[in-house]
Amino acid sequence: MNRRRSSHDDALLGLFEESGRNVERTGTLLRELMTEFPERSTLARDILICEQEGDRITHDIIHRLGNGTKLDRGDAYELARALDDVVDFAEETADSLELYAVEAPMVQAEELAEVLAGAAAAVRSALSLLRHGDDISSQLVEIHRLENEGDRISREAIASLFKSGTDPMVVIRWKDIFESLEQAIDSCETVAHVLEGIELKRHG
Amino acid sequence: MQEHSTVAAFAPAPFSSQTGVRVQPGPIRLAVIDSDTGFVRVLAKRIGEMGWQHRVLTAPPRAEELLSMRIHAVVVDLALLGPQGWEFLERICDALPGLGILICTGQSTVAQRVRGLRIGADDWITKPCHPQEVIARVEAIVRRRKRTTGVTEDAPLVAGELEIRADQFQAFVGGQSIDLTRREFELLHLLAKARGRVLERDEIYQHVWGYAMVHGDRSVDVFVRKVRQKIERFSPDWRYIHTHFGIGYRFEPETSDGQPPSDATPDADELRDQTPDEVTSAK
Repeated sequence: MNRRRSSHDDALLGLFEESGRNVERTGTLLRELMTEFPERSTLARDILICEQEGDRITHDIIHRLGNGTKLDRGDAYELARALDDVVDFAEETADSLELYAVEAPMVQAEELAEVLAGAAAAVRSALSLLRHGDDISSQLVEIHRLENEGDRISREAIASLFKSGTDPMVVIRWKDIFESLEQAIDSCETVAHVLEGIELKRHG
Repeated sequence: MQEHSTVAAFAPAPFSSQTGVRVQPGPIRLAVIDSDTGFVRVLAKRIGEMGWQHRVLTAPPRAEELLSMRIHAVVVDLALLGPQGWEFLERICDALPGLGILICTGQSTVAQRVRGLRIGADDWITKPCHPQEVIARVEAIVRRRKRTTGVTEDAPLVAGELEIRADQFQAFVGGQSIDLTRREFELLHLLAKARGRVLERDEIYQHVWGYAMVHGDRSVDVFVRKVRQKIERFSPDWRYIHTHFGIGYRFEPETSDGQPPSDATPDADELRDQTPDEVTSAK
């Protein structure tokens, strides 16, 4: 793919790679925020900057889709949107900590943030390999594995909130936070699905 | 569990004009477990006039729920609980040895009253009864319990360089406030009252936050960290809160090298833990 790739495609894949780096940075920051909350709650501001950066990259990608590309436009659009969703949901999670006046983290949220950071790193790696025309299958397998892990943690975390005698405020705030973390991880899996489609077409 | 609670904004009621009885400083916190709405309404009105804080429960709560209410006493109609009444009584007597228990119920046999008192109830009153008598008996129970423990809830606790004053919801080092928030204070006060004993995280959370702790909640750890940091700013040579990994926390003042204070004579050490009143009487 890379041998016959136009400079336009190269620029587009470069933007996806940049988006992947932004996703990875967001995941890392959210993990730090969650494990070192509330002492480092200012990291939420850095995540907001990542979210704004993600919007810019997505806009650039969509702008370039109008100029003709060997990549399927539908796939490229879906990929850009899913990458943007990862960062959006991560930013929503970070914002919720302040919005809901969270006093302390939950272990399950730290675990989910760890899973997200891992999935985001795999997304970045896959997009980098895609740009260079290399095999991305092991990254996709890793993203699916992490998504399953995230599902398990999230289900158990939400179930734990509904044990008898729990503060209703704790239920309200953490159910939302667990769900936004899970949605960020699910978006990584959506990225993996789109990349699988792109890979199939590339080798088809 | 159906519940009506009255968290009245009450002023301390040092003297009751209606009963003519002096009560302890600070309002009594009381739970009434009874579904007799007429009786409860009249009792609640009188309790409100006394400036007490009370909750009315129409079904038996779990012991942990009673614990989290931080009440001094409970008035319970055993008839409401049916055959489970004795079991409930045993459970709360076991779980909450510091809680005053007044059984206020309908006609009963001598054997039933003896059984109730032997299980651990402090007093028994038969309906119909006057609410003022119920109130007077609760006062007597609470007064007796405070006399037995010898410590009033508002008495300052002194440990190392730290003075913990429940009447001001604050802790001081050398007379200087260490600027604890309400929750930080409650956590420190709870640990200090249980000095030398390891309190589990769940137990701490239940007391301070008033709810069951969700598995994985780090609130207790975070607040212990905050309290430690605030104390350390004013009392850097002492360690007060010790971590018991996987269990919880224990309050015990020690100097930074892990040794008990070398300059403390046994007498001074002994006096350090007493309330000002006890110190005065000891002298």
